[in-house]
Amino acid sequence: MKGFTLWFTGLSGSGKSTLTQAIEPLLLERKINVEILDGDVVRTNLSKGLGFSKEDRDINVRRIGFVANMLSRNGVVAMTAAISPYKAVRDEIRAHTENFVEVYTECSIEELTRRDPKGLYKKALSGEIANFTGISDPYEAPENAEIVVNTEHETLEESLDKIMRSLELMGLIPAGEDQHTSPEEEVVIRDRLQALGYL
Amino acid sequence: MSSRQRLCVVGLDGVPVGLLERLANSGVMPNIAARIEAGHLRSMRASLPEISSVSWTSFMTGAQPGEHGIFGFTDINSGTYELTFPNFTQVETPTLWDRLGKQGLTSVVLNQPATYPARTIPGVMVSGFVAIDLSRSVQPLRWLGSLRRQDYRVDIDTARARDDHDWLFQDLDYTLQARGAALGRLWDEVDWDYLQVVVTGTDRLYHYLWDAVENADHPRHQQAIDYHRAVDRFVGQVWERFAAENSDPEQRFWMLSDHGFCGISQEVQVNAWLRQNGYLSLDEGGRDLAGIRPESRAFALDPGRIHIHQRGRYSRGGVASDHVASLKAEIADAFRSLRYHGEPVIRVVHDAADLYHGPRADSGPDLVLLAHPGFDLKASPTATEIFSRTDLVGMHTWDDAFLLAPYPIDDEELWIGDIAGHLERGFGN
Repeated sequence: MKGFTLWFTGLSGSGKSTLTQAIEPLLLERKINVEILDGDVVRTNLSKGLGFSKEDRDINVRRIGFVANMLSRNGVVAMTAAISPYKAVRDEIRAHTENFVEVYTECSIEELTRRDPKGLYKKALSGEIANFTGISDPYEAPENAEIVVNTEHETLEESLDKIMRSLELMGLIPAGEDQHTSPEEEVVIRDRLQALGYL
Repeated sequence: MSSRQRLCVVGLDGVPVGLLERLANSGVMPNIAARIEAGHLRSMRASLPEISSVSWTSFMTGAQPGEHGIFGFTDINSGTYELTFPNFTQVETPTLWDRLGKQGLTSVVLNQPATYPARTIPGVMVSGFVAIDLSRSVQPLRWLGSLRRQDYRVDIDTARARDDHDWLFQDLDYTLQARGAALGRLWDEVDWDYLQVVVTGTDRLYHYLWDAVENADHPRHQQAIDYHRAVDRFVGQVWERFAAENSDPEQRFWMLSDHGFCGISQEVQVNAWLRQNGYLSLDEGGRDLAGIRPESRAFALDPGRIHIHQRGRYSRGGVASDHVASLKAEIADAFRSLRYHGEPVIRVVHDAADLYHGPRADSGPDLVLLAHPGFDLKASPTATEIFSRTDLVGMHTWDDAFLLAPYPIDDEELWIGDIAGHLERGFGN
């Protein structure tokens, strides 16, 4: 199976990490190797010491893209969950990455401010945090993302379903896995029906 | 106490009305006895054929096989004659849960047979038999992790349980407990309007040990009775919780089975009869219907579904369409007169044209045999003897499924496909 990079982009709190964590077991179920490059985790390791200036943000995102590309060209599904606010950098990574799939987790600032589990939006709005994406720093939403999920109006299941189906349709993960009975399953079904005297 | 008008349904796969009543009256199933006392127990017809995949699909859709398209656990590829295994994706008729969802109502459906692979419903679905892979048995998928962590089991290991009855009872107990744990979690975490759980261990027990249920001298009798006690406790727990959380619970609690059961006197191999009487022939050494010869005029699929080998419908079929009616009549007459030691074997031969209607009716059989209780119809293509016995002791029956309803339903011909309408009316529709 070919690897690919599933690049989530969206504002803080829009559901990128939640979705990557929910997708991981679904891919593992299908015997697909997967690695998550979460924005917060990367910042404490790969990009330790970088700040939140535009330059540092770009370096951080490029590093994630570099690692994701290495993983995906070796047959792994690399899922990234960094805000990655700047379109130009995302496009740059897209250009260098085989099988780049951009997933935009769309959600309004109003809804994110309402959710605000870490209180970050409140602090950003009060000026306590500077350079906060979507409040005091720009976020450039993708115009041509392969997949758009609206986490404000969709349930987690609906968004998950949309992503998995899209990946199936792109031929990146086995298609129609839940539509047909595989030969392996037929063997099991035969055994079960036979055990109950139906065959 | 929920302010919602909830509805709860418990299915007991294969439990015949007579057995349920007997076990309730004898004190083995006191919780069910209380429900019978408060409600209205009656017999109910299953689908034809009287097997779970067809009957439960009729239950969940309120439609008959000619409409929903499920005629059995198996079908046949009309080009290659290989067996195929119809699944839930082929059921195009909307389910009860789909219809409730259109009204904004949420369903929890646990272990509903014939719903594999699970599909999205407005609520949560966990498929039942013949579900294979748990990851394809659960919708929405976010419930998969918790079910796995609970070591949820869809079904017992039937292949092992058939030979190892110690294992059968262990597995029945484990599966029932796991079902209860899963139900508890879904109950806690889903804001549902309609909840349904099906216990399928009863059917498995009856296939392998119906005689132990019926016969007090059987060495496994006490274990068989104890399993019914466990099922009764399961029902009691569901009821108690439902009653504690909902107003007017008696009016909103239903129980049913999908068919009845009885002991097997003889297995009857329909394809062996067709071969012996010149209607079916297979290539030398042919092990399945893929070896069917063009001169064959009919073949059967389990349990008693007879297909005329019609030209244009099957790649090797040679029976012209204008001969189908006379051939059906000829075969039907022959089966009506089939005897075993003087005893009639077949109760009714149904002409499918009378039995089925709807857009999928043409994909079904041409004749459907309903045997007298005790004669278990089979369709092994290679069996040479018409009458035989195996280690299986229990078989399905058609008109003694049970329905425990909150109100009396005066319809002599009530069948399982009628129930969805009653349940929908429970929500004011």
